Amino acid sequence: MRDLPSGAALLALGRDLIDELLPLVPPERHRELRLVATAMAIAEREAIAGDTPVRDILDRLAEFYRDSDDALLRRLAADLRGGAFDACEMRGRAARAILWRMTMMKLREGNPHFLAQNGFG
Amino acid sequence: MVATALPRSDRSADLSADLSVLARFLAGASGASRVDIAALDLLSGGAIQLNFGLDAEFSGGSLAGHQRLVLRTDAATGIASSLGRIAEFAVLQAVHAAGVTVPEPLLACADPSVLGKPFFVMRRVAGTAQGRHITSDPALEPALPAIAARLGHELARIQKVHPPRPDLGYLPSIDAARHIVSFRAYLDRHPNPRPVLEWAIRWLETHLPASLPPVLCHRDFRTGNYMLDGAALTGILDWEFAGWGDPDEDIGWFCCKGWRFARLDREAGGIAARAPFYEAYERAADRRLDQGRVHFWEVLANLRWAVIALQQSDRYLVGGARDLVTAIIGRRATECELELLMLLDPDGPPAEFCRHA
Repeated sequence: MRDLPSGAALLALGRDLIDELLPLVPPERHRELRLVATAMAIAEREAIAGDTPVRDILDRLAEFYRDSDDALLRRLAADLRGGAFDACEMRGRAARAILWRMTMMKLREGNPHFLAQNGFG
Repeated sequence: MVATALPRSDRSADLSADLSVLARFLAGASGASRVDIAALDLLSGGAIQLNFGLDAEFSGGSLAGHQRLVLRTDAATGIASSLGRIAEFAVLQAVHAAGVTVPEPLLACADPSVLGKPFFVMRRVAGTAQGRHITSDPALEPALPAIAARLGHELARIQKVHPPRPDLGYLPSIDAARHIVSFRAYLDRHPNPRPVLEWAIRWLETHLPASLPPVLCHRDFRTGNYMLDGAALTGILDWEFAGWGDPDEDIGWFCCKGWRFARLDREAGGIAARAPFYEAYERAADRRLDQGRVHFWEVLANLRWAVIALQQSDRYLVGGARDLVTAIIGRRATECELELLMLLDPDGPPAEFCRHA
């Protein structure tokens, strides 16, 4: 339905252009230009991933709570604040697995370099 | 407090006052018959405060001669927990008197008729504070363990300042329990749930260590907030978050992964292993560090940095800031969340997340 190239592809091309332009920009502005490239890379990765990673987290939350409420993430946060899983090792471990998965999902899109620096491929 | 480039809205900010008004203030406060301002240029660094390089010729008085100074004042937007400039000036005076390596504080002005907002003036110290440079410059490598040791020594010296101090009676006193309350209060206002942060706060709450007598905490004691001229420490900067607190709070903050820049593997501020930093601190403070307490405060440091990053982004989301630096910094909270999981989950990551050495 949408025209091509895709938005993600255009963002990638834009980032290439920033790399070309970088030497032409005064050094004191390089950091900002790199930040623009970073923002474009985040948008590109989020566009490519689409809703799939978020849906995966929501599915796991629904499975964890055996519920399909829209506010399950908020419920998880409230339960963790209140120590709802402190007494049940299995529930605590399952909750933490969701936390890991959500964090990995965000960093794969937001900062995969940081993941790699921490030993996560 | 965060080591980011100035937002665009602040980069273009200028001191609107007539410089002759500033010159008259400087002359009056220093006892000079006349002050000629040669330059007043915005310096990089500091997202919440503005620092201007101030070059001036003082005719007589306590600063007679040519002076290279820094004028420090508020940016257009800030975050609530920072001290005002006059209060920060008083802290700087106190630690300078205690022998801490800081830019010498010289003059302060609370009168808004001079620049429109309070400010203070300190000596300009040479060098760079850029964390990425400090943690990656090959020329600095051999000196880094000694620099870490020097910083441990400096931190012990900061902690020689402790309450009661009538001259610093306005400083906030924040223990771990109060940090926890403030983190939760912030998350209650934040539009998106942050379950990792909630889980880590719960851990803090259930692992509170026995308290130690309070000392002066810098609360942003880290790589990026000290100046190095070559390998020489020339000044510990940015005292706007100072207050009374636990002596291990600054240890945990210094070692927090968020401040290791190019070298995540070097756990003391990205510049060295913990040992030289800890050992110098222990010698100077005459106190053995308890690893469990430091771990607690490092967890708290990650939470605090996550909350600060989110607060900074709030300046874009709800505060009217329109610059990319401010907007994007909240994403760093997720880096803190990964670190919290790595620090606290006894099971480690699920097997599907392959971790390399």
